[in-house]
Amino acid sequence: MNFIDSHHDHWQTAGGEDGPQPHPPARAHSLLSLEQWHAVRDTWPLGVRVGVMVANTTDIESLAPDLPRLALVVLHFPKWVDGRAYSQARLLRARFRFAGEVRATGDVLVDMVPLLARTGFDAAQLRPDQKIEVAERALGFFAGHYQGDTRQPLPAFARDLSREVGPAAARLTAQQNAELSAGQGI
Amino acid sequence: MYAYTDFDRQFVHARAAQFRDQLDRHLSGTLPEDDFKALRLQNGWYVQRHAPMLRVAVPYGELNAAQLHQLASIARQYDRGYGHFTTRQNLQYNWIPLTQAADVMDRLAAVDMHGIQTSGNCIRNITADALAGVAADEIVDSRPYCEVMRQWSTLHPEFAFLPRKFKIAVSGTVEDRAAIGWHDVGLQLLKNGAGEVGFRVQVGGGMGRTPIIGTVIRDFLPWAQILCYLEAIVRVYNRYGRRDNAYKARIKILVKAEGQKYFDAVEAEFARILSEDVGAGTQLIPQAEFDRIAESFVRPAGVAATPEAAAPLDDAPVDAAPLAFTRWLQRNVHAHQVPGYRAVTLSLKRAGLPPGDATADQMDAAATLSADFSFGELRVTHDQNLLLPWVRAADLPALFDAARSHGFATPNIGLLTDMINCPGGDFCALANARSIPVAAAITERFADLDEIYDIGDIDLHISGCINSCGHHHSGHIGILGVDKDGSEWYQVSLGGSDGSTLSGDAVPGKVIGPSFAAEEVPDVIEAVVDVYRAQRLAGERFIDAVRRIGLPTFKAAADAQRHLTATH
Repeated sequence: MNFIDSHHDHWQTAGGEDGPQPHPPARAHSLLSLEQWHAVRDTWPLGVRVGVMVANTTDIESLAPDLPRLALVVLHFPKWVDGRAYSQARLLRARFRFAGEVRATGDVLVDMVPLLARTGFDAAQLRPDQKIEVAERALGFFAGHYQGDTRQPLPAFARDLSREVGPAAARLTAQQNAELSAGQGI
Repeated sequence: MYAYTDFDRQFVHARAAQFRDQLDRHLSGTLPEDDFKALRLQNGWYVQRHAPMLRVAVPYGELNAAQLHQLASIARQYDRGYGHFTTRQNLQYNWIPLTQAADVMDRLAAVDMHGIQTSGNCIRNITADALAGVAADEIVDSRPYCEVMRQWSTLHPEFAFLPRKFKIAVSGTVEDRAAIGWHDVGLQLLKNGAGEVGFRVQVGGGMGRTPIIGTVIRDFLPWAQILCYLEAIVRVYNRYGRRDNAYKARIKILVKAEGQKYFDAVEAEFARILSEDVGAGTQLIPQAEFDRIAESFVRPAGVAATPEAAAPLDDAPVDAAPLAFTRWLQRNVHAHQVPGYRAVTLSLKRAGLPPGDATADQMDAAATLSADFSFGELRVTHDQNLLLPWVRAADLPALFDAARSHGFATPNIGLLTDMINCPGGDFCALANARSIPVAAAITERFADLDEIYDIGDIDLHISGCINSCGHHHSGHIGILGVDKDGSEWYQVSLGGSDGSTLSGDAVPGKVIGPSFAAEEVPDVIEAVVDVYRAQRLAGERFIDAVRRIGLPTFKAAADAQRHLTATH
C-alpha cells in the first residue's frame, strides 16, 4: 500500500481561483473530477497521464470505456463506515481489469487499510490524524483469508493452506490444548 | 460439528490479536470512540446501560462441551456468573469491563470461538435449524452449507460496511424452524426432480419498524453457486441500499421499493460474476471441498440405529411423578432421524430466571449433560433454549433426572411460558421498555403447568423495543415495549407467525389497539387466552382460533383489562 502525502503528491487537481476549471488544459498528472474528464476526454492527448476522482455513488461501469486512458482512479469515502467504494474498487480490478493506481481518499482510517488492500486499492491518502506505522501494522495480522480477493483470487478452499499456517499457528495450538484441558474435568 | 483446521484456529487468534491492538489504541486515547465503535461492534462489543455487552458467535447454533465449559468459566471470571442465549443462537455477556475485552477474546479463541460479525452493518452470524443433522424431516443437512457460507462471509473485505446489518438463515427440513422468511436472506435447501441439491432463495425479509416477509428470488439455485449468488445479492444491496436513514437501510426496504428491478439487477450481476470476473470460477464450491467440510458433520462415532422397541419410554424414573416425565417426553423430546435416538431440549424458561439466561453453573451442567448423553454436542435454539442432539431413547429416564436436578426439565417447550424475550431495558441501551419483568409477571401468572398444557401450543414473543430482538412480530402473541412521555408501555399484537407448519406462512401480527401499562399486561394475556379457551373448537390451536374468530373479540377482552390506560 502506497500512503500518499498530500504535500508531496505529483497528482494535482485542476482548480482555479473561481473553483474547478470546466475545461482543464492537458497537463501531465492532472487529477480531474468526472465532470472535467467528460468535458476534455475527446481532446485529451494520448500519453498525457490523467487521473479521475469518482464519487461513491457513481456506477463504476460508466468509466469502463475510459479506463485504458486513465493512470489513476481516486475513490472516495465520505464516511469511513460507508463501504460503497470497496465494491467500486473490486469491480475496477476483477471485472474491468484496470491496472492503474486505485487510491482511497476521504475519511480513510488505518483500520480500513486491510480491506482497501484486499478490494484492489494500492494507494491511500489517510485522514490527517492517522499514523502510517499503525496502518502498516494493521496489514500484518492475518496470514490469509477465507475469500478470494483482488490480491489472491483463490478462496481458501482452492489454496494450499499449509503455507499460511506457520510456526505461530502450531504454538497457538499447543497453548490452546493446554487451556482446553486445564481444570475442566472432562 | 465443524472441526477447526490449523488455518481456522490461527485465524481467530489473529482476529483476537487485531482486536487487542485496536482496544489498546482506544484505551490509550489514540483511537477515539467514534472510530472505535464500528470496530468493536464487528467483534461483538456493544456499550450498554451498565457495562459493555459482548455477543459471542455460535455459528448456526452448534456448541461443544469444551466450548460451553469455557463460556461458563468466562462468565465466572469476567462477568457476574451468567449469560444470555439469544434468538440468533448467540451468547451474550452483560458485565465485562472493556479493559478486559481483549483477554476474553483470547479465551474464546482458545476454544475456536470469537465475536466476529455478531454486530455491525455486515453479514452477521448465520443461523439455522437447531435440529440440523438430526431432524426426522430433514431433506438436506444444512450445516456443511452454513459452514461454507460462514467462511465466505467472515471478514469479507467488500461487505464489511454495508448500509445496515445483514442476516442469513438456513433451513434444510420440511418444517421451517429457522424463520427464514424473516431474514435478509432466507435459504431453503431442497432436492430437485433429479435429486440434485439446491437452494430456494428468499430475499428482503426483516423485522424492526417495517416488518416484511422475504420474497422468493430463485426457486432453485444449484448449491455450488451459492457464494457467487450471495455476492450478487449483497453487492447490489451495497450499491443501492439507502444510507440516509438507518430505519430504511435494510435490504427489505430496497427490495420493497424496487421489486422486480432489484431481482433483475441481482440476476444480471450474478451472470457477470460468473462470466467476466477474475477468479469467479474458483468461487464455485468444488465437490471435494464440500466433502471435506461435510466430513466434520458425520454422525458421532457410536451413534447407530437402535430398534425402537428397546427404548423403555414408558418406564418413568422411579422417584418422578409419572405425569412430569410423560409431559417432558411430550414437550422437550423430539423425533430423530436415527431410530432409537431423540433430540432433547434443555429448557431455559423457568420461574426466577429471565428467558434464555443460564448461570455459569448451569452452563457447566449442560456441558456435562452433553458429554454424558449427547457425544459432547449441544445446539442453541432460536427460541433461546439448549438442545442435546444425540440422545439414546434408552437414556431418556436418566437424562430426565439429571436435567431436572439442574433446572433444565421444565416441560414447557412450545407452550406459553417458553416465551422468546430480549434483555430489554434492564440491560439494553436501545430498549424503550423493560421486557424481563413482563416475562417474569407472565411466567408467574401462568405457573400452573396444567393450565399451560390446556392452553397448548402458543408462541409468545416479547421485545423491549422496535428493533425486535424478541421477535414480537412473529409471535402468536407479540408484546412490544414502547416509550411514551418517558414511561414504559406495551403494545400487544396477535396472529403473527414465524413460518413454521404449526403457525402457518410467515406473517407479522396485528396490533390490537393502544398500548397497555406494564401492570395490565398479564391481565391482557390472560384475557386473550381466556377468549381462546372459551371459544375454541375441539383440537383447535390458539393461532388457528385467532384467525377464525378474528381480532375484535380478542381486542374487546383485552380492552376490558384497561385499569390504568382507560383514558389513553
